[in-house]
Amino acid sequence: MDDLFLSFVPVNSILHRLDPRTKIIGLMLASICILKASSFMEITLIMFVFLILLFICHLPVMHFVRSVRPMLLFFAILFLVQLFFTEGTVIFSFKWLSVSYEGLVLGTIITLRFVFLLLFASLLTATTSPSRITAGIESFLRLLPLKHIGISSHDFAMMMSLSIYFAPLLYDNFRSLRDAQISRGLDIKKEPVKAIFSISIPLVATSVRRVEEVAMAMESRCYSGIGRTSMYVMEFRRMDYLFYLLYFFIFSFFTMPYFKGYIII
Amino acid sequence: MIYMIHINNLSYRYPDGTLVLDSVSMDVHKGEFVAIAGKNGSGKSTLLRHMNGLMLPSEGSVVVKGMDTIDSSFILNIRQIAGMVFQDPQSQFIGMTLEEDVAFGPENLGLPQEDIRKRVDMSLQDVGMQEYKHQTPGSLSGGQKQKVALASILAMKPEIILFDEVTSMLDPYSRGEILGLITQLHENGTTIVYVTHRLEELVHADRLIVMENGRITHNGYPRVILSQGNVVDSGFEFPPVIELAKRLCDSGFIDPACFPLSREKLMEALCQLM
Repeated sequence: MDDLFLSFVPVNSILHRLDPRTKIIGLMLASICILKASSFMEITLIMFVFLILLFICHLPVMHFVRSVRPMLLFFAILFLVQLFFTEGTVIFSFKWLSVSYEGLVLGTIITLRFVFLLLFASLLTATTSPSRITAGIESFLRLLPLKHIGISSHDFAMMMSLSIYFAPLLYDNFRSLRDAQISRGLDIKKEPVKAIFSISIPLVATSVRRVEEVAMAMESRCYSGIGRTSMYVMEFRRMDYLFYLLYFFIFSFFTMPYFKGYIII
Repeated sequence: MIYMIHINNLSYRYPDGTLVLDSVSMDVHKGEFVAIAGKNGSGKSTLLRHMNGLMLPSEGSVVVKGMDTIDSSFILNIRQIAGMVFQDPQSQFIGMTLEEDVAFGPENLGLPQEDIRKRVDMSLQDVGMQEYKHQTPGSLSGGQKQKVALASILAMKPEIILFDEVTSMLDPYSRGEILGLITQLHENGTTIVYVTHRLEELVHADRLIVMENGRITHNGYPRVILSQGNVVDSGFEFPPVIELAKRLCDSGFIDPACFPLSREKLMEALCQLM
C-alpha cells in the first residue's frame, strides 16, 4: 500500500512520543492562530513553528508535500477568487479582469492559512497512530455527559479508530476494482455514469463483506467494549509541559493585542 | 484423557433453512493436533467457528474446556482459550501498526499496560516479527501478515488454536514457515485444530477428520485414512507423494501402518525397499 493521504508514519521522534492530548490541543490552538493570522509576519511565524516541528519529527518533507497535493486545485481556486474579486488598488488589468494589491495580499494570506491548517493536521496524523488519536479524543469525550444520552465514549472512539483505519483500505479497494473494470473494457471517460455504478456497487458489496470479517475477527479476540484497557497509558511528561509552555507564548502572541504589540516593539 | 473440546450431535442451519452441519460429534483432546479436511462447502469452517463461539448450534452442544458455548457468560473465556486464525490475514487487522494489532486481544482482556507490552513483544518475537512491530500491516507480505495474525492470537495465551485454511493464500515458502510455527506450538503443548484441503499438510496431525456435506465421514489416524484411499470420494486430489505411497501400499510394497505422508518419509520407505 502506498503512503496515503494523512497517514501515520511510525518513527521515533519527540513529536511521536508526546502525549496525544498534547498534540490534539496543539492542533486546536494552531488552528485558532492560523485563522487569526492576518499579516505576512504572522504567517512567517507560523511557517517558522512548522519548520521547527518538521525538523524534530524526523519525517521526510515529501510526506507533507503529498498531503497538500490533493488539495492543490482547491487552493488555486481560493487564491484566484480572492485575487480577482477583492476591490482595492489595481496593479494589473486585462479586459474585464483586474488584480488589486489587496486581492494579491488577501489571496496569498488566506491560501497560506489553509495550506498550514492542512500541514499541521497532517503533522498530527503522521506522528500519532489513529488508536492514540482516538484514545486522546476519548479522554476528552469522557469529560462530556455523553453517557446520559446513551452514547459510550469508548464505542465512539473505537468507531472513529476503525473509520480512520478503513479509509485507506477503502481507497485501495476502489483502485483494485477500478483497474479490474478497466481491464474488462470499461471506459471511464466515455461512460462516466456506467463507471460509477460498475465500481460503486462491488465496492459497497466488498466493503460490507470486509466489515463483517473484521467484526468477526474482533469478536474472536474477545472484543465486548466493556472493561477494555490500553497498551498506551496516557501521561504528561516533562516534554509535554514544555510544549504547553510554548503553546502559551505562541497563543498569547496571536490572541492578545497588547502582548502582540509589545513583542513587535 | 482430558477433553478440550467436546461436540455432541451438533447441527447448524442458516437462517434460510440450509443445513450446513448435520449431527456432528467429535472430541479434541489436550495437546492433540487435529486436522479437519474436506472440499469447499463441506462445513469445516462452520464447525471451526462453533469451537470459538462465533457461531452457536441450532441443535446439539459445543463444550470448550467444560464451558458450553450456548451460555453467553462463558463466551469471552471460550474465545480466550480457543483463539482463531482466519484464512485472509488482511481481514484480521484492527490496529494501524503491528504492535497495536497484537495488543488488541490483551487490551480486550483488561490486562494492565505492562502485561500487554510484555505479551505483545513476546508473541511478536515467537513468530519472528519483533523488528517490524512499528510497521503498518500494508507493508508486509502475505506470509508475514499471517505470522502477525498468529502473534495476535498468541498474545491472548490460548490453550487451543483454531486455524482456518491459514496457508491457502500463501506461497510455498511462507506456507512452510507458517506450518513450522504451528508444529512448534504443538510440540510446546498447544492443542491445534487445523482446517485444510491440502492433504500434504497433514504430516504432523495426530488425527484426521474428513467432512462431506456437513457430516464427518472419516475420523482417525491420517496414515490409516489416507492408505485406505476411500477419501477420494470426499473430493480430495492426492498430492503426488501420497498418490505414489498409496499405489505402493495397494501393491503391498509398503505396510499401511507405516504409510508415508511426507516426501522424506516416502524416500525412507523407498530406500528400505531397495
